[in-house]
Amino acid sequence: MLRLSHFISDLQHLERAAQGSQAPLILEAFTRNTAFDIGAVYLRDATGLRLAAKSDRCFAPDLLQLDVPAEPTSDFRMPVEPQPLVVLPIRAHRDPAGLVALWSAAAVGEDDLQLARVGAAYLNALLTNHRLVHEMREGDFQLKSRLWELESLYDIGLSIAATLNVDELADEVLFRMISLTNAGRAALFLREGDQFNLYRAFGDPPALDDSLIVQLISSPDAVTLDDGLLVMLPIKGNNATIGVLAAADRETREGVGRFEENEMRLLSLFANQVAIALENARLHREALEKQAMQRELDLAATIQRDILPKAIPTVEGLPIAAFSKSAKQVGGDYHAFFERDGVASLLVADVSGKSMPAALLVSALHAAVQLLFAEERELGDIATELNKHIHRWSAENKFVTLVMVSIDREQETIEYINAGHNPQYIVCGGEIETLKSHGLPVGIMPNSRYMTQRRQFPKGSFVVLYSDGITEAENVAGDEFENDRLEVVLRETIDATPAVICDRIAAAVDSFASGAPQKDDQTIVVARFVS
Amino acid sequence: MTDELRLAVERRGPDGAILHTKGYINNVGGEEIASRAYELMDAGVRTLLLDLRETKIVNSIGISILIEIIEKAIERNGRVAFCCLTPVIYKTFHIMGLANYAKIFDSEESAISELGLAA
Repeated sequence: MLRLSHFISDLQHLERAAQGSQAPLILEAFTRNTAFDIGAVYLRDATGLRLAAKSDRCFAPDLLQLDVPAEPTSDFRMPVEPQPLVVLPIRAHRDPAGLVALWSAAAVGEDDLQLARVGAAYLNALLTNHRLVHEMREGDFQLKSRLWELESLYDIGLSIAATLNVDELADEVLFRMISLTNAGRAALFLREGDQFNLYRAFGDPPALDDSLIVQLISSPDAVTLDDGLLVMLPIKGNNATIGVLAAADRETREGVGRFEENEMRLLSLFANQVAIALENARLHREALEKQAMQRELDLAATIQRDILPKAIPTVEGLPIAAFSKSAKQVGGDYHAFFERDGVASLLVADVSGKSMPAALLVSALHAAVQLLFAEERELGDIATELNKHIHRWSAENKFVTLVMVSIDREQETIEYINAGHNPQYIVCGGEIETLKSHGLPVGIMPNSRYMTQRRQFPKGSFVVLYSDGITEAENVAGDEFENDRLEVVLRETIDATPAVICDRIAAAVDSFASGAPQKDDQTIVVARFVS
Repeated sequence: MTDELRLAVERRGPDGAILHTKGYINNVGGEEIASRAYELMDAGVRTLLLDLRETKIVNSIGISILIEIIEKAIERNGRVAFCCLTPVIYKTFHIMGLANYAKIFDSEESAISELGLAA
């Protein structure tokens, strides 16, 4: 009994032994506690039964190409002499794991054989138990790993909802992806135009050449390269591939391996998460830009509201009417009125551009115009000075087309400057005539000079100033209102007041457009010399 | 970002030590930690504190190696503890069961104090 107790105690040491040191312990337990003082332990590997431990006096071969016996046996033939007295199978949970071959220099009896068989049975129970515990632990680990994956994906979802910082999200997604897939390297590429630029990398980033980009853009799924060691996943936005997620060199305990089905599924989920994060960030950025643009428009609108005349001046014998309608809240059209010593001056201008830049240019034009008219200069001089001012202080490619008229009722004349503006109209004695452009728009050339034009403007005449937003107003078919239609309105209103003429032109343009969006600012100023 | 693990060992008295890690705890990094941990255990260390403040990523192989280190320490009547984990690693250790067998501390100071590691 004591011998069996020692035998079992020795075998129990196996439980704590490392994988490589089990065979010597098995050999020692059998040769020390049974009558068999010589032995060999074989363990199965891919090549067959390989010698793992043997007694000094044992001549057992290194490799056996034999099956593990089902039961302990004394009839097992090995390529060695003398043949072993007994061969005991080593099994772990039904799997043949190896065998123990035992010899003895002395004679052995049935009791000795029985003890060896009991020891073998205990050893197999121990190994089976060990295997089951290992499998249970492995199963537990796998279960916890799945929970880890789910928690990670859930956490990333929360992070995406909580922050719009793509930098932080990219790091978090990459770190978690590497952790969960055991990737040795990973990278995130983001699209800018037609380019896919490296945004984040862990380890050496994989190369992303043009042909691969074409493949990724057209593929809804992952592209596998390098015999499965590298995986590239397109990140799909609403309508396009907005990035690429790459993972490479999946680690195993033995080295590196292909990404398995579960890892591929995870990588795909991560690519979806990145897509959501990037789309959220883009939408947020666009919303902020829209807000900033709206603030800019509001500010520019305020500037322009303050600049445009709040009321039309009342000039005896010269009723004036004006109409102004901006296309985009803030426009590039400007108009102003001045009166000095019975001479009334009207100005209509159209600055290049829209929104805040246009508003600032209008502001600069307004300040200069107010100063120059206050200095009682004549129109040609004013235009020449305006040109210098606008050219010097405005941004490149910014210019202003303008028309200025001064009506002298005493002299019954009209002086005018048309600097690159549309042909304007005067109607004298029922005849429609035009005031054509005779110079470049102001602000284009630094040394442009403008000469004041003069013509008769008898009682009953009226002048119609307008911006190109009137004649170039489009309908839904894309046709423009054009000067012919404007002249028709002028003929129909030839005896009407400036207010009526203004209203009729605006109504005709509005009717023509019939709901088509207004693309440019519209300005009309009409003045009639009545007495 | 780099993936190479760096280790620094700080002995605390005859039976204590702190392992400071920097970088990715993966197969290679985990084996490096295990190798140093077993050396320390062989040298009589019974309380081993792993300070992970400069480690941002641990993969599943790294975790399985850390579990082996914990088990080995318990077999030898020793103990392993962790400190200064990132929130992600802290949660991972709880999910993966490391927190059941190894104490986790917010700071190195509290770990040293509670584990009674010598100066």
